[in-house]
Amino acid sequence: MATQNPSLSSLEAEVLVIGGGSTGVGVARDAALRGFSTILVERRDLADGTTGRFHGLLHSGGRYAVKDPSAARECIAENRILRVTAADCVEDTGGLFVSTPWDDPEYGDQFLQGCKATGVPAEEIPVGEALRREPRVNPDIRRAFLVPDAALDPWKLVWGCARSAEQHGARILPYHRVLDLDMDGERVVGAHVRSERSGEEFRIHATVVINAAGAWAGQIAELARCKVNVRAGMGLMIAMNHRLVHMCVNRCKRPADGDILLPLRTACVIGTTDVFVPDPDQTEIRQEDIDLLLDEGEKLVPGFRQARALHAWAGVRPLFEDTAKVAETRDVTRSHALLDHSSREGIAGFLTITGGKTTTFRLMAEAAVDAACEQLGGPRACRTAEVPLAGSGSHRLYQIGHRLAAREPAPQAEEIICECELITRSRLEDTIKERDTTSLDDLRRLLRLAMGPCQGGFCMYRAAGILHQGGHVDQAGANQTLLDFLEERWKGVHPILHGDQLRQARLDDWIFQGILDVEHLPA
Amino acid sequence: MSYDTVVVGAGLAGLTAALRLSERRRRVLVVARGVGATHLAPATVEVLGYLGDNRVLSPAASLPALSNGHPYGHVSVDQVTTALAWFCAHTASLGYAGSLDENMLLPTPIGVPKPSAFAPRSMAGGDVRNGGRFVFVGLRGFKDFHPMLIADNLRHARLPQPIETRALELEPPASRMGDLSGRVIAGRFDTQNLADWLVGALDGRTDADERIGLPAVLGLRSGDAIWQDLEKRLQRRVFEVATLPPSLPGIRLYQALANALRVSGAHIVLGVRAVGTRAVGGRIEAVEVANATGTVTYPVTSVVLASGGFASGGLELDSFGTTRETVFDLPLIGLAETDRVRFAPHYFDAQPLATAGVATDDLLRPVDGSGNPVYENLHAAGAILGGATPWKEKSGTGISVVTGYAAAEAILAPAARPVPEAVG
Repeated sequence: MATQNPSLSSLEAEVLVIGGGSTGVGVARDAALRGFSTILVERRDLADGTTGRFHGLLHSGGRYAVKDPSAARECIAENRILRVTAADCVEDTGGLFVSTPWDDPEYGDQFLQGCKATGVPAEEIPVGEALRREPRVNPDIRRAFLVPDAALDPWKLVWGCARSAEQHGARILPYHRVLDLDMDGERVVGAHVRSERSGEEFRIHATVVINAAGAWAGQIAELARCKVNVRAGMGLMIAMNHRLVHMCVNRCKRPADGDILLPLRTACVIGTTDVFVPDPDQTEIRQEDIDLLLDEGEKLVPGFRQARALHAWAGVRPLFEDTAKVAETRDVTRSHALLDHSSREGIAGFLTITGGKTTTFRLMAEAAVDAACEQLGGPRACRTAEVPLAGSGSHRLYQIGHRLAAREPAPQAEEIICECELITRSRLEDTIKERDTTSLDDLRRLLRLAMGPCQGGFCMYRAAGILHQGGHVDQAGANQTLLDFLEERWKGVHPILHGDQLRQARLDDWIFQGILDVEHLPA
Repeated sequence: MSYDTVVVGAGLAGLTAALRLSERRRRVLVVARGVGATHLAPATVEVLGYLGDNRVLSPAASLPALSNGHPYGHVSVDQVTTALAWFCAHTASLGYAGSLDENMLLPTPIGVPKPSAFAPRSMAGGDVRNGGRFVFVGLRGFKDFHPMLIADNLRHARLPQPIETRALELEPPASRMGDLSGRVIAGRFDTQNLADWLVGALDGRTDADERIGLPAVLGLRSGDAIWQDLEKRLQRRVFEVATLPPSLPGIRLYQALANALRVSGAHIVLGVRAVGTRAVGGRIEAVEVANATGTVTYPVTSVVLASGGFASGGLELDSFGTTRETVFDLPLIGLAETDRVRFAPHYFDAQPLATAGVATDDLLRPVDGSGNPVYENLHAAGAILGGATPWKEKSGTGISVVTGYAAAEAILAPAARPVPEAVG
């Protein structure tokens, strides 16, 4: 599409949501379910920010039971809701808190008390039983506790919310950047938006604009001359090949760095660290943090350093600091912040929801849309705790064997494009059409394409060929998305390259540089 | 059974060294953890394709530009010529074509013209140096070959002569295998007369002056014969284009060399691992080889280490950043100077470990920091050698053949070789 005069093109909605992470799509879905006309804009792909880069733990609340009881209560309540409404995104792995030789076993008593006080089901089990369930866990653990932690697939969650919102009339616009907020006096009345794909600029008029930009919320608020202090707390994660553990294994101690190891689909993830960064878009993976996670992993699972590390990535937590000292009238919990800028700065039609954690995204969305209702003519009941997400209608919890089970009746029915993640050609082609994307990196997030042990060594050439053959891109476009993918992948691969995964990476070099010679592709 | 030489590694370098030794009546045992990179690489012999950013026209002319620290720095152009002539003669069933004087430009599976000195004759027809008309033919259901992308990219490539390209996709006869691998298709060419179908399917669809590029899956046991048959029946130049691994031409090459080795009396044992040596006074007396049930000690008079680089397990980097040679714990060059390996932040940057490997003297004996051989009767060949960037400069298969041959020559006639004046 050619660039159009913004005045010629505009959209209208009651609710405009800025930010396509879990909070944003949660808000959009909530608003749409309440019958509001809703548009969501996200500058990049959905879940490209914090949500797609978190560890994937659906908290039971156990982690916060001692340190932050209100967060623990929220977590267990949301945990129970998401197991039903977002069943397809949740694998019921269960959670295990263990006291390793580096942890004070008496903390376990505080832990149990905290869980009891906050309603988080927790049960101490004999060490032998814990080791039977988790044979790779350090045999020297002294205590073990079961909690209902689970693994949460962030991309499925975000796309499940987005599709659900769309089914209720919302428009979800990834790759649409907010250039400015439109003001009418002391009121935000919409946004000036640019499509990052077509370059087209247009306006979206809205009665209420909800800033759900997470760690970037301060940048959006500034456009309305509002101040939101969100600090970016960078956390590092490493995905390891295979499921070294079956349950979400936590260290039973006050939350610290590198104390969570959980299975996520065909891999497992260790996290995390916490370092303030001045710019949420500038996250550099430091060697000392890698070593810290590997060393902590070694404490939980001896031999961890010999296991294959597939990919490292950093996400940024939005950490809200209220320096405005304005008394909040709303029920703002310590774990997230809902800011009504009319009471803070006198700017109407503009709310910010930030902070929080993915586990409580639905609750945050509910709070934000409750507040929006007041500016949209009165309360309407929230339905997100009952209505399932798109894809979760059967209430069937995700299981690791789902893709294999779907394939098994006719194992040779068609080509498998990504053997690591069992992605068929038709699934890939359908997704390309449905999502209208030509970016291999988008397809990676949608399908987990290239997220397995070979990190795209085989499937990326195939997917580029299929994009080109299907007429979705010309040769230059196919080449560019392949090269972009290789560059993007390398960011997450090179910091953890060692052992057998270096062998794998060299095989991939062999394919891309040796066999294909992509370095000499024409433009 | 006793052996004169144990060769560690069954890739191109190890097989070349073993065959050269074996044909000269040395008793040779090849031990390897598995087959080597032959099964991945397209079986073309890339001697030298790039110097920096520049495409190399003539490997013979450009080889002297490489420094002493490069594996080629230990051999003369004459030796390279001799080694490759020997290689072509010993793989006659594959009919290697090409020359050291000018690289061919063979299309990769994504349509980049890759400089290669030699290629099996079934692939050599893909040479785009002289331009012309090409049609690339894909097989529906075969995911490791994308003819449209090849055709479109080649059309945009920097080539000496104009080129015309197009793509076709054919629907192979139904198979119970919906996920076709190259090996499965090759099996159908071998046993189910897929060539008959192909001739029929292409009937009337190509012009007489068009060359027909097919994925390199035209049979395994009788690939070369099937290719010849297709050229005759289609009355067109037909050529195979490399695919993603596994590489059928590479497997054919492995089988050709392995068969020649068996005929010459050498033994190949896969699934075992050379784990150490017994050495006396700087000389290896025996090699210890671990198999499933224990360790066997083979007395030897010489050893060839052709265990490959990081990809093949000849080199290893641990999570603390330490790199080691996995069989004999030899000294390495090309390592990061800091205590910790850090890879460069961009994928196509020069990577710190790219040139890691063992340094050798001109008899290809691994040397220590002072340039003295670690063992007087240990020679190294192939990707374990440091100083090259095989993927970047397109030199990997050439280095393997040339140094494999040269290592054998050093064992066969050490006295006949001039004493090196200096080691770079």
